[in-house]
Amino acid sequence: MSMRGLTVFIADIRKCRVRELEEKRINKELANIRAKFKEGKLDGYQRKKYVCKLLYIYILGWDVEFGHTEAVNLICSAKYSEMQIGYLALTLLLTENHEMIRLVVNSLRKDLEDQVEIVNCLALHAIANIGGREMAESLSGDVYRLLIANTSKSFVKKKAALCLLRLFRKHSDVLPAAEWAADILPLMEHPDLGVLISVTSLAMALCQQCPDEYAPCVGRAIYRLHRMVIEKDYPIDYLYYKVPNPWLQVKLLRLLQYYPPSESEDERKMLLRVLQYIIRASQDVPKNQQHSNAQNAVLFEAISLIIHLDADQSLLTEAAHILGNFLGAKETNLRYLGLAAMAHLAAFPDSLAAVKVHLDTILTSLRDKDISVRRRALDLLYSMCDRDNARIIVGELLNYLQVADYNIREEMVLKIAILAEKHAADLSWYVDTILQLIQHAGDHVSDEVWYRVVQIVCNNEDLQEYAARICLRTLSEPICHETALKVGGYILGEFGHLVAEEPNSLPAEQLAILYAKFRIASHPTRALLLNTFFKYANLFPELRDEVASVLRIYTRAIDVELQQRACEYLAILEAGDTELLATICEEMPPFPDRKSALVSRVAREETEDKRTWVLGGWEINRERRETQQQALVLARSMRALENAADLLDLSEDAVVEVPVEEAAVAVSAGREPGAMVLANGRGSAVRANEDGTRTVRLKDDRSFLRLSTQLDGVLFDNPEVCIAIKAEFHPPRGRLAIAYLNRTDIPFQGVKLSVDCEEGLRAQATGLLPVNVAPGEQAQVIYAFRCEQLFSMPPLMHFRYFLGDTWKEHEIRLPISLSRFCEPIHDMTAGDFFSRWKRIGMAVEEANGSGSAACLESQSTFSCVQPVDREHARAAVKGFGFGVLEGVDPNPKNIVGASLVLAGESRIGCLLRLEPNDTQTMFRLTVRTTHAVATEAIADILRPYIEFGSAQEAKLTTK
Amino acid sequence: MIKSILIFNNQGKPRLTKFYQQVDTAAQQHILQEIHQLLVQRPETDCNFLEGTRLVGGEDTRVIYRHYASLYFVFVVDRAESELGILDLIHTFVECLDRCFENVCELDLIFHFDQVHNILAEMVCGGMVLEPNVNEITSAAKQTNKPGGRRNPTLAAPAMGLGPGLGR
Repeated sequence: MSMRGLTVFIADIRKCRVRELEEKRINKELANIRAKFKEGKLDGYQRKKYVCKLLYIYILGWDVEFGHTEAVNLICSAKYSEMQIGYLALTLLLTENHEMIRLVVNSLRKDLEDQVEIVNCLALHAIANIGGREMAESLSGDVYRLLIANTSKSFVKKKAALCLLRLFRKHSDVLPAAEWAADILPLMEHPDLGVLISVTSLAMALCQQCPDEYAPCVGRAIYRLHRMVIEKDYPIDYLYYKVPNPWLQVKLLRLLQYYPPSESEDERKMLLRVLQYIIRASQDVPKNQQHSNAQNAVLFEAISLIIHLDADQSLLTEAAHILGNFLGAKETNLRYLGLAAMAHLAAFPDSLAAVKVHLDTILTSLRDKDISVRRRALDLLYSMCDRDNARIIVGELLNYLQVADYNIREEMVLKIAILAEKHAADLSWYVDTILQLIQHAGDHVSDEVWYRVVQIVCNNEDLQEYAARICLRTLSEPICHETALKVGGYILGEFGHLVAEEPNSLPAEQLAILYAKFRIASHPTRALLLNTFFKYANLFPELRDEVASVLRIYTRAIDVELQQRACEYLAILEAGDTELLATICEEMPPFPDRKSALVSRVAREETEDKRTWVLGGWEINRERRETQQQALVLARSMRALENAADLLDLSEDAVVEVPVEEAAVAVSAGREPGAMVLANGRGSAVRANEDGTRTVRLKDDRSFLRLSTQLDGVLFDNPEVCIAIKAEFHPPRGRLAIAYLNRTDIPFQGVKLSVDCEEGLRAQATGLLPVNVAPGEQAQVIYAFRCEQLFSMPPLMHFRYFLGDTWKEHEIRLPISLSRFCEPIHDMTAGDFFSRWKRIGMAVEEANGSGSAACLESQSTFSCVQPVDREHARAAVKGFGFGVLEGVDPNPKNIVGASLVLAGESRIGCLLRLEPNDTQTMFRLTVRTTHAVATEAIADILRPYIEFGSAQEAKLTTK
Repeated sequence: MIKSILIFNNQGKPRLTKFYQQVDTAAQQHILQEIHQLLVQRPETDCNFLEGTRLVGGEDTRVIYRHYASLYFVFVVDRAESELGILDLIHTFVECLDRCFENVCELDLIFHFDQVHNILAEMVCGGMVLEPNVNEITSAAKQTNKPGGRRNPTLAAPAMGLGPGLGR
């Protein structure tokens, strides 16, 4: 860069031996630069120099808060070297939500279109590094063009591919990934390996979202691997220490792990040859470190793929054998990776046996001198544990826990607790293990662990006597951990009476043991023990006086919780009503059978790329794959739905009446109190500034709000059932397909689905509703709607099914508001608009004067949960069927819209005006229509939509 | 993906910080210092991989590093990257630096930080591997670094005295 000022500055800073001096020098320089920038009149060279200084300051770790504008000026420079520094500053200093981004977008577009390729590259690189929403929306088209254009050079293509990948990762909702497949897949045949590696990365991200569209990438990946590995067809430059492009091989092998084995026999054979070759090549003794790394990088990914495909038993055995050798390797890296890969192997039931052979070596690795290796060993033991080896593994882990590093103890405790519960051959062993765990590492035992042991003891009658005995024994020890005291206190309070006949366990002795520990326990534990004492008073009448005396002391306790408990319990005891006491102290009912909260704590968040497997044994992995399958089925059926909906025609002959009784039941049962309120309120003046009941309820229904401007999406989703919709509207008619997926492993029976509409909206089901839905299957029903009169409340769907032995019932509001039957008006002039606007305004005044109830205007002012920019507000207005009229309002910030509601034969004109304040957080919404119901219906849906931020999330959908 | 690339010296002085995710400057420095703390404790015989601490990105993050003379080269990556692949990439990066600066040393990274960024930009883009081929990377980087001339001759002398070459 050869800038003298900069070199001097860097040298100066290097002379500063203490941080204070450095800070002083930097502050001086910052002041200087700031002054220069303020002065203006800088030429390109000076500007470049100062921005460089700022960059150096940034690299040293100091915050740089200004200079962004100068960087933006630099990127517009005609000199490449100045542009380059400008772009570097941009990528280092700007974050994706920085306010400057908006200014930069245009320069970026210009540079993307530039004739000089290295200028294109600068822009691509900047977009790939910053990649905000703004850029995704306005530049993805240009980037995409550079990627697929035949004229683009290879070095532009590969950058464009990664740039697109970045935008897709961050904002997949604004990019049409599925439509790209036809253009992107052929790029996997590109001769340049640099392009191929970038395109493979891109395809890997896209195929996770659109697996069907990108399925052909499997064949292409296999073909490229075969060409590189078997046919040895690659440019010599890409040979890295005797291994052809290991990074590309790894990428391709990984891509294949997102798909099931190929359906083509030929492709499967080709892949098998490749994998065999890689395994065989790994037997060569590598020449040096670099060679060994490259070779093993490919090998480990190949083994992952072999495990995933699970097709060739002999390969799998060989892979397991190689991994076994790695466990004893001298090089630490190999031991580490060997353990990690084995955890993957252990995630599949068929290969688990091959892992178990190495149990002893793995247990030794738990004592490796490198913490990274120890962690992998721990993960592997957690994955490979089953009923046969649980005692050994848990025993070893307990031993190791006492010497383990502090920062992994909590995780270990959690894992031991999970393993002990999951693989316990008998539950008494589980109780023993947990109590030992508390003794060894009590401080690291989280509350979930001891809650869980209490739950299990309460739910297993056979276990209770044993648990009480062992708890009592633990508490008799001179030292016991407070958590043990909590467990013991709870269990003895419930089940202490079961062992009260045994020596050393007489009621008085039990109380004495607990009381000895009670005095030195913390307040929350003491509160829990007060419960135990109180329960004792019920179980053993002879202890009543003694308990009362303890309680009496605590009626004056400083801690409010203790005092309150003591006072209440004492009052009950002194009342002397034994029946009351017995009722209060009744044994706790069994806990509802639920999944251990522990497992969910261990489960980790998904990274950006989906995982192909997770840690924690094969059961979890199988479950995971099944859920994924179901999600895939759902995605496919959504598409099928789309096609089906297009095939049906809107004519009413094809429509079957909805069974009347169903609708009737729904209303008469009064399940929807709001509906009644509404029926009464309709037509009367609901003043818009008051928050009506409806607004309150609509705003709480987030999925309703989210879908209220969209035509498809998931309406309801829980672990049992997923309901998705797809709609189309041709006012005054519309059609809605509702699909429901059974996510459980039990069939749904007697499915009943009904739609409850207000008078004015008519709903008819077409075809018959499938009554039974098998596990993992999905069914659908299509409803035809017709708006015959104005209505104010969107319809309510009742969905009911019999699962196992219970009826499940859901009430879901369908996102069909009156605005769905609006036709936008785009061509209204300002004069026209305001004459109508005023005419309604006058009618409103008249009505107010005469005391009439009709209310044609609704006006409300509200503040948004988060700022809504004009674009999003416009999109919201459009989404609700309004035409946005530009240049009509004298204030350009305001948004005015007009539409026509088509209800039966009548047409009702609707006008609205949305006025934001300066910060975009407050809005005033005014709706004027020629009918009170329409005013109310539109204002009540639009307001919460903007207010609660759905306007931000919504795509820019227009009807 | 690669979440960040850091170069710092044995004392923890940053020489290159490149984050591919949105992290503010203060947090970037915390991450760098924390990684430095962890790495200086590790003997050379330990493996080149470390699980990320909570600050660095949690258990799903891997810190993959190599130690050359006075400098640590650190890549922080998520689970989708191959550990050994990244280790090779670090080596490739150092080879490229070595070619562009002819026997690279710490001072080159200090005085030519912009060129270092340009070289990196030819190898990694938006957190993904762009090009692993040393020849390709160096020729592309040389092309973009051309106009200003590569090296400041007045600085060559002290550079020789202060650091042994890297990557050998």
